[in-house]
Amino acid sequence: MEEKKHTSREYERELQEIREGLLYIGALTERALERGAQALVERDSALAREIVREDEQIDRLDVDLEEKCIRLLALRQPAARDLRFITTAVKITGHLERIGDMAANIAEKVLILNELPQIKPYVDLPRMVSISRGMIRKSLDAMVQENVELAKQVREEDTIIDQLNDQVFRELLTFMMEDPRKIQVCLYVMQISKSLERIADHAEGIADMVIYMVTGKSVRHKPASVEQG
Amino acid sequence: MKIRLFHKFFFAFLAIGIAAVAISGLLIKREIKTDLSHRIEDEMVSGARIIALMPSGEIAGHVGELAERARARLTLIDASGRVVADSEPGGGELDNHLNRSELQEARLRGKGAAVRYSRTLKKEMLYVAVPLRDGAGTTGYVRLSRPLAEIAPAIDGMGQAVFNIVLVMVVALLLIALLFSYKMLSPIRRLAAFTGKIRTGSVSGLLRIESRDEIGELAENINGVVAVLREEIRTADEEKRKLEAVFSGMSEGVMVLDAENRIESVNRGMEEMTGRPPGDMIGRTIIEALRNVELHDALGRFREREETLCEEIGLGNDRPVMMDVTISAVRGEAAGERKTMLVFHDVTRLKRLERIRTDFVANVTHEIRTPLTAIIGFTETLQQGAFENPETARKFLRTIRENAERLNRLVDDLLTLSGLELGEAKLHPEGLRIEESIDRVLAIVEARVREKGLAIRKEISGELPLIRSDRDRLVQILLNILDNAVKFTPPGGSIAIAASPGEEDCLTVRIADTGVGIPKGEIPRLGERFYRADKTRSRDLGGTGLGLSIVKHLMKAHGGRISIDSTLGHGTTVSLYFPLYREDQDDMV
Repeated sequence: MEEKKHTSREYERELQEIREGLLYIGALTERALERGAQALVERDSALAREIVREDEQIDRLDVDLEEKCIRLLALRQPAARDLRFITTAVKITGHLERIGDMAANIAEKVLILNELPQIKPYVDLPRMVSISRGMIRKSLDAMVQENVELAKQVREEDTIIDQLNDQVFRELLTFMMEDPRKIQVCLYVMQISKSLERIADHAEGIADMVIYMVTGKSVRHKPASVEQG
Repeated sequence: MKIRLFHKFFFAFLAIGIAAVAISGLLIKREIKTDLSHRIEDEMVSGARIIALMPSGEIAGHVGELAERARARLTLIDASGRVVADSEPGGGELDNHLNRSELQEARLRGKGAAVRYSRTLKKEMLYVAVPLRDGAGTTGYVRLSRPLAEIAPAIDGMGQAVFNIVLVMVVALLLIALLFSYKMLSPIRRLAAFTGKIRTGSVSGLLRIESRDEIGELAENINGVVAVLREEIRTADEEKRKLEAVFSGMSEGVMVLDAENRIESVNRGMEEMTGRPPGDMIGRTIIEALRNVELHDALGRFREREETLCEEIGLGNDRPVMMDVTISAVRGEAAGERKTMLVFHDVTRLKRLERIRTDFVANVTHEIRTPLTAIIGFTETLQQGAFENPETARKFLRTIRENAERLNRLVDDLLTLSGLELGEAKLHPEGLRIEESIDRVLAIVEARVREKGLAIRKEISGELPLIRSDRDRLVQILLNILDNAVKFTPPGGSIAIAASPGEEDCLTVRIADTGVGIPKGEIPRLGERFYRADKTRSRDLGGTGLGLSIVKHLMKAHGGRISIDSTLGHGTTVSLYFPLYREDQDDMV
């Protein structure tokens, strides 16, 4: 009896470790994104280099967490809810790792952009950063609180990011048509915008996994509006 | 099972009472029985004596009649023990009676009694015998006997009476015991009820028992204890309320983690800092609730070293705040339970001030060094021979002079500013028409405006009230703002100056341009000395970086204020609010 109780406590602790590990990676990616925006707006190359460096930490933590999940699956053979949580965690950490990579990509582009003259103040990109960052945060909040409504909100916000991305694209297009010397800068800015758009997609992926984790129903590859009905 | 004190008392009383009554009843019964036996015996003895007065022949002749009169069996026995006559039939065949104990006793003491089983009558009998005497001596004996069965009912009757009395007494005792137990236990019951109420936490009221015995004393003591207790509880409550007020009212955020590092409690300051309701935090770990890497790492370091840790950590998402976080261990209620307390102190403002100071030093050095470097450089070149060429020399000297003038302007501005900050600058306020000052300023910038191809519009609505201002300072304020507008508006843009009566006894002057605009985040920093929103460009335009700072201070000294509103890429609007002139006012500083 005592032995069993002990084992279950140990098991609880391992689950909690996974949960916290996941959130820690989430917090790191959020920070990377925030700092990326700062490095871009303030043309801070040192900060951008730091972000690139930090991505290695995210990658390492991702591998560790995945290993932990697999070990738990093999040793404890969890069922039902716990099983869903662990498989979800593996998926979410994958998304987070990709977000980290995107943030590092952005930082690399910022390093190049900082060497080139700025063509206009950034308005839409910081907005995209703050929205996509909010999406990551909300999707992880939804996981902690097991809040399906919040996860659904994240799915809806993805459309805003898509629209902003299109807007940035159109704007940059006019700049490039005006002056071919601006093409280089514009292309890099465009890549950053594209990375942000994909970060938002990954955040949406996390939200989908949270909905699956809580309800057991998969909503992946379904538009938010259909899901609403 | 709990036996009530009442039952204990009641049954004890009852047992003692019944025992006493029963014992005395039994004793009485026995006493009555012996007494009754003696009387019957005496009665029979006197009967026998009366019979013995008669001559023996007479007795023998009337034995049946005598026996009936004496309501007993009569036996006449001669001196030798032979039965002479007997009232019962068959008595003649009786054996010698001389050795019967009643006869022996009668012979010796003059009367004898005995209880014996009569073989003749086959019954338990009481025998009494008296001697028959004449002058010489004993001639025989008269014996009377009655069956005991005839005596018993009398005795039993007495017993029944005694038993009835005992029964009455027992019932009476029962009632007394009941009453007594109840009466004696009533204060104890009230005591129990009162103390029971105290145990459940209600300590109001007093125990009222007016008896002067030990129970009364006990009640008084309990009242004393309750009074002390009430006072203690009140003090403790007050302490607790005070602590709670401090805990929730302090501006610092406080967070307590339990032994498993889950958030146990947060105060209101913490809620405000994180912008999360306590429900979202309590029961969760730091990383779950706040998703803050630095804080999580700091907590990890604290757990490793187990000593109080103090770190600067950024917090918040939409509105970044700098926190001075102190992590320390606190002991929990249970022995050995370790809790962690985190105290968050908002140092955002402090940090900002610190940055302003370091920026100021860096800026001042930079602003002074730039013209100095030019002056030194050109002087050196002149010394090295450029002096020979008058054309170059003149050009160089002009540059040196320009830079020296710039230095001079900088020092002037710095002096003005520090004078304003220290409140030493004396203002000479008077009632002024704002339009006049605006026209003066427009005249000053006119040349540059035309050069740049800007359109300036003046909008003054009707007759405006006089404002209270220092004439020269007013020009300085307007010039500074207008100068900025001209500098940061690209060619082809437009500037509008509008003056209108504002709310609350003030006059508003708005200077709006279609310039480059200022990022939202920079606006609050604009009043800082040397702060430039666009770092590279504005210095090229020849400003000292002190203009807005001076305006801000001047407006404050006038009792007015300034507000800036801007959209990046679309333009900036500066609003100046001047107080109105009133005749009865004195000079101001």
